Parts: sequence; C-alpha cells; structure tokens
Amino acid sequence: MATKNPFLTSSSLPTCLPFASSQSVPLPFPMAHGTTTLAFMFQGGVMAAADTRSSCSGLVACPASQKILPIHSHLVGLTSGTSADCALWKRILARELRLYQLRHGRRLSTSGAAKLLSHMLHPFKGTELCVAATLCGKKMNLSGPRLFYVCSDGTRLRGMLFSVGSGSPYAYSILDQGVHWGLSVDEAKSIAREAVYRATYRDAYSGNCVDMYHITSKGWTRRNREDLKEEYYREKERRKHEKTERRDTSLSDSHTQILLEENREDCWTEERW
Amino acid sequence: MALEDVCSFKERPVQHKWFSFSSLGDAAIPFPKSDYYNLRLETSENNCGVPLHFFIPPLPHSSSFINRPLSSFCPPKNSMTVQRPFRLAHGTTTLGFIFQGGVIAAADTRASAGGLVACPAVHKITPIHSHLVVTSSGSGADCMLWERILIREIRLYQLRHGHRLSIRATAKLLSSMLHPFKGTEMCVALTLCGWDNGPKLIYVCSDGARLQGDVFSVGSGSPYAYGVLDRELRWSLSKGEAISLAREAVFRATHRDAYSGNNVDLFHITAQGWIVTVMRSVKTNLCAHEKKPRNL
Repeated sequence: MATKNPFLTSSSLPTCLPFASSQSVPLPFPMAHGTTTLAFMFQGGVMAAADTRSSCSGLVACPASQKILPIHSHLVGLTSGTSADCALWKRILARELRLYQLRHGRRLSTSGAAKLLSHMLHPFKGTELCVAATLCGKKMNLSGPRLFYVCSDGTRLRGMLFSVGSGSPYAYSILDQGVHWGLSVDEAKSIAREAVYRATYRDAYSGNCVDMYHITSKGWTRRNREDLKEEYYREKERRKHEKTERRDTSLSDSHTQILLEENREDCWTEERW
Repeated sequence: MALEDVCSFKERPVQHKWFSFSSLGDAAIPFPKSDYYNLRLETSENNCGVPLHFFIPPLPHSSSFINRPLSSFCPPKNSMTVQRPFRLAHGTTTLGFIFQGGVIAAADTRASAGGLVACPAVHKITPIHSHLVVTSSGSGADCMLWERILIREIRLYQLRHGHRLSIRATAKLLSSMLHPFKGTEMCVALTLCGWDNGPKLIYVCSDGARLQGDVFSVGSGSPYAYGVLDRELRWSLSKGEAISLAREAVFRATHRDAYSGNNVDLFHITAQGWIVTVMRSVKTNLCAHEKKPRNL
C-alpha cells in the first residue's frame, strides 16, 4: 500500500483513514464483546485460553471460530470485539512484525508489538472499530513471560492476568482464586479450562469449545480443542445425583419439582455440530 | 399511620375501590374497603407523578376504573418525572443459595451513588419475619420502602389468618404489588430467602420476574460471585463450608467490581429461624489472599 506522506515510514497506517472515507455504514446491531478470552502469567510461561463461539446478536454465527491467533512463534494474540476487525488487525500486526524482523535482524519485543498495535489503532479511535487484543509473549531475552492488553479505545496495559469479553467476570473470579506464580503447567491448564467453562456456563455469548495455548521460551504449543459439552454433561449428572440425595430428605412440594427437572429433556441431545 | 406521615400525603376522598378484590365478591374480600392504601402524592405539574397506589394507580382524566384490568397501567401522561441524578445500576453484590443445612443469604454493604460511596455500611439483607429474609438490589430507596411494605403485609396476614403466609405466596404477593409500577423508573430486585417446610429461594424483580431456584446472585458484582458459586456449590456442604463459600464469593465480587465492597453481611436460615453472622470486613479475606506466594 503506497503511503501519501513520504515522511511516514512505510510500516505505518493504511491509506483509507477514517476522515478520508465517505459516510460510514450503520452497524446492523449493537456490538458487544461476546466472548470469553483469558490469559495469565505464571512460572511456566503464559497460559492463554478462549471459547470458540462467534455470536451475531443472538445467533451463533460460528461455533468453531478461532479467537487465539498466533502472530509468530513466540507471540500469540487473543482477540475480542468484532471478529472481522480482529482478523484484519492480526494480519496487519503479523505483517508489520515480520517486516521489522527482516529490516532490523531481530524480533520486536512484546511491549514493542503492543505499542505498535496501539499506535496503529489510534487513528480509528472514535469510529466503530472494536478490537480488544491480549498479546501473550516473552521478554526480549526470552527469560520471562509478558502479557499486554491493547484496546481500540487507546488502552494499553501490562499485567499478570487479563480476561476480556462478556464472559470475563465469571472467569475473573475463578482466576483470582487460583492463579499465583508458583502454579505447575497442569494446574495452570486446569484453572484456565475451568475459568472458560464457568464463563460458558453462565454467559450466553460464550460457549462451544475451549482453545488453549501455552507460551514458553521455546515458543507456543497448542492443546487440542476440547468440546465443553462433555464437561457440561458430567456436571449435569453430578447435579442429578445430588438431587436424588436431596429428594430423600425433602418434603412433598419440592419433590414434584425435582421430578419435573429430572425428566426435562436437554436440547443438546438432539443437536449435531 | 407512620407511613402516611413519612410520605406526608393529604387526606383525599375515596375515589375508587380496589378492583382486584371487588370483583371477587364481598365474601372473599379480606381487607376493608377504605382509603387505607390511598397513599398518593400530589400529581401537580411540579411534583413527581409516581403514585404509591398499590393495586390501581390513579390515571388522570379517568373517572372510574372499576372495570379496568390490572395490566393496563401506564404512568400518568401529564406529570413530569424527576430527572435522575445519575444512571441507576444495581451497584451491589447479593447472593443466596440452598444447601443441606438451610439457606445462606450474603451481601456486601456498599451503597453507591454514581461514583461516590454514599454509605459503606448499609444493610442489604432485611429480616421479614423469623423465617424469611430478603436481600435487596437496585435503588436503595425503593428497596427499603418495599421491604417495609412487605413486612407490614405479611404481619397483617398473620394477624388476620392466624398462620404465616408461605414464601411462594409472599413472592406472589410482592410481585403483584410491584406490577403496577412496571414500566416506571422503579428498580427493585429482591431475593426472598426463607424456610417453610424446606429451604426456599425466590427472586422477585420489578420487571415482573418471579423465579424459584437453588442459587441466585443479583447486582453488578453478580457475575463474579456466580463464577465462584457455580464451581464450589454442592448440596452436601457443611454449615462452615457454606458460610465461607458465600463470604468468598462476595469477596471475589468486591475485589473486581467497583460498586461492591466494604463488609459482608451473612444470614443463615434454618428450620429454627435466621441467624446473622457478625459483619466481617473483606479485608480479612484480602489478607489471606495476599499471603499466597507471589514471586516475580
């Protein structure tokens, strides 16, 4: 893309800036970050997890979308907001980082990548662009993990734990309880999975499967996508078992209610993804 | 009546009878036909037109509405509503759940007004009678008023009929009392936690929702509490575990939510009645949380 201004470096903004374009297309429905993504740092690197549901104002547009996008071998981005915008900006960021690496012979650091993304998004502040990305990577010398949250309204934060999206409050309480620096890799995986599961349990816009990425000094590794339906059914069985225990001790008015709940058919049994 | 003096209403002649009871026939009317509930504020131009009529709100320009069904309420058209000073949100965390040892009701104690902490020590859980408490969320003023009204109604029923109203019926009564205000700016979300032949938990909202369930959490901090509760809640919890779970859930919500904080109120309702645990600051939970090793 040729730039109009010769003084700007070529690794900068795309040509169609908001003030140069014609009138904007009205959004079809109010955008919300209908998702659950989370990432936290611990002694074994960074653990990132996200659900896989793409929603479109009440419709599940895609039950198997990918919200964790690897940018290069040591940097992974979690996206929330408009999926179209997120996919585009991930590609733009990946391109810019690769160009930087080719020109300067070394990779841009995670905080540099976050700053670059933030500055690229800045001209779109005030428009309908909606991107909230969490960049998970390593320090420059690969000695420690780094976690940055970059948002299209201009926020750029460094932290140890972030969760973004409509399901994030549910995930936050689980993460706050269990995350500390000294976690083992397996404990970190199970807490990340539990947090996403709890968010999908309560939030309507999160669901389907959970993706997990683990970033270490050797790069990122991806766990197989897990369908949370199984976990949901396990929990349902457990609650059913509890209800039969309750039934022995409770009296007649709640008795009928428990019977009704047990016999209620689950909609999921008929569906095929 | 004390409530009349508080609302400082002027005596008005009876303009209508209660539709809901007059249609049932005289034999079924439990309450006297009088001006008893006509606690109406002046609907002048300067005043807020929200009426305190419990069953039939006064509609201007209408002579008689004996035959008007209950559901056709709409706020008076020619009265101005007072502008809200800030956007109302349920700035609180309250929760209630059922387990083998009864019902636990817990809430934080922060009352917020926009960005200001109006009061750091508010009681959001109010006992209605010895076996029923109600946790409130929404507008603090509305909740306090409706708790008083509910206490009075339940007591009157008990005096008239000699037995206590069941909790499901209490919820129904509350819901039908709130119904005329649907569509107005009144914002009340109450969770009735009590015991009558078994633990009961019912959520009543001024939108009209009335739901019975095993676990409810209401307010801006509720998603945070739900995460913790869904994970750990079991029927077979012991009393100590249930209390610490409730406290932990409220603590997690106060940790992340700006509108919840300060202390935690906890009520435990059993077949013998309700017991309140001492209000303990969330700082004790915070200190325990921060003692975990955090090396960087």
